[in-house]
Amino acid sequence: MSDRPTISPDDSGKAAEYVLGLLPDAEAREMRARLASEPALRAEVLAWERRFATMAEQEVAPVTPPASVEARLVTHLFRDDARSRWQWSGLWRGAAALAMAGLVAVAVLVFTGGPGSRDEPDFTAIIAAEDGSLQLAAALDLDSGQLRVSRQSGSVADGRAQELWLIAGDAAPVSLGLLSAEAETQVAVPEPLRALFAGAVLAVSDEPPGGSPTGAPTGDVLAIGVIEEIQA
Amino acid sequence: MSAQTDLEDLLARIVLRDRAAFRALFSATSAKLFGICLRVLNDRAEAEDALQEVFIKIWNRADRYKVTGHSPMTWLITIARNHAIDRLRARKGGGDTAEPDLVVADPAPGPEAQAIAAGEARRIADCLGELDQSRAAAVRGAYLEGETYADLAARFDVPLNTMRTWLRRSLLTLKDCLSR
Repeated sequence: MSDRPTISPDDSGKAAEYVLGLLPDAEAREMRARLASEPALRAEVLAWERRFATMAEQEVAPVTPPASVEARLVTHLFRDDARSRWQWSGLWRGAAALAMAGLVAVAVLVFTGGPGSRDEPDFTAIIAAEDGSLQLAAALDLDSGQLRVSRQSGSVADGRAQELWLIAGDAAPVSLGLLSAEAETQVAVPEPLRALFAGAVLAVSDEPPGGSPTGAPTGDVLAIGVIEEIQA
Repeated sequence: MSAQTDLEDLLARIVLRDRAAFRALFSATSAKLFGICLRVLNDRAEAEDALQEVFIKIWNRADRYKVTGHSPMTWLITIARNHAIDRLRARKGGGDTAEPDLVVADPAPGPEAQAIAAGEARRIADCLGELDQSRAAAVRGAYLEGETYADLAARFDVPLNTMRTWLRRSLLTLKDCLSR
């Protein structure tokens, strides 16, 4: 039941020392270089992170921090809209770095951030397949009507399309458009539809290229998520 | 399992800048992470600052959680421990710590990895117990107190190279025990 039977005891020991921060500088540099090209070594580093974290989780007693820590955090992170705009660009820089490293394929959308649109979302939903094969996170800003849908797992099948639907109560599903195969899709939700989000459901269906020809879902429902309202 | 699913869900929402999810994650995990900062830094004021910085990292880096293949608690604890160790070593002057977020897993073999993690979680106390007491103390010292080989060699009064051989052997024994 070992994680990766291919790892030598010497490399496993080095991976552990790397995680512990025990390697002499030169060996740590060498290790970083090897990690870039050796998946089995990366897996072993992660396995040691997991083993040590498991030890800490079980052995270190929780201590409730003073309320001032949360208050300072909220002030620091959320009070300043300009700052959160900057954090969004930081997020995309991180995604771009990963893409360049060839580790995940992401298309970076240039985020332009309309005025006053950077408040926290009013509605969110996790749209997920039951077997975990597809998961998307969606967030709607009520004022701007901007719905961000971020792909967290799963992809669009070759030669097919994924269409996003808003299902409010017993009404027929309303198409919100096709999902990009890339990391994020942005949808401009028309004002009359925004009012339907509370308590509704978002769903993704499998459709032919270009989307449903009928205006109603025609293929399998791939994923579904209940919309939740964020309390201010 | 449901606690883990809840944390997964919160992290997914934090990627979308969901502040309510962030505050829920703070309330669910801050005591554990504060305990770890306190254990590493052994100074309340410094641990409070470290905890704040740890949660800023979590807010800013939640998008990288998925690619590690870690459980939420493993990811959160790794960030907290490494940040606290960085602070500790900055205080002592010098030293560099492995930056875990530079490491990216290959797409995780989900259920298999989870089964391994669950098995290890059940066995970790027993396996540490099987190690000679001073060797288990050295493992804890390196992970939770940021002790270097020089610190450990001084504490156990052995030459540095002996200390290294000794700790590496203990770690491999621990790994073997965990995978039994």
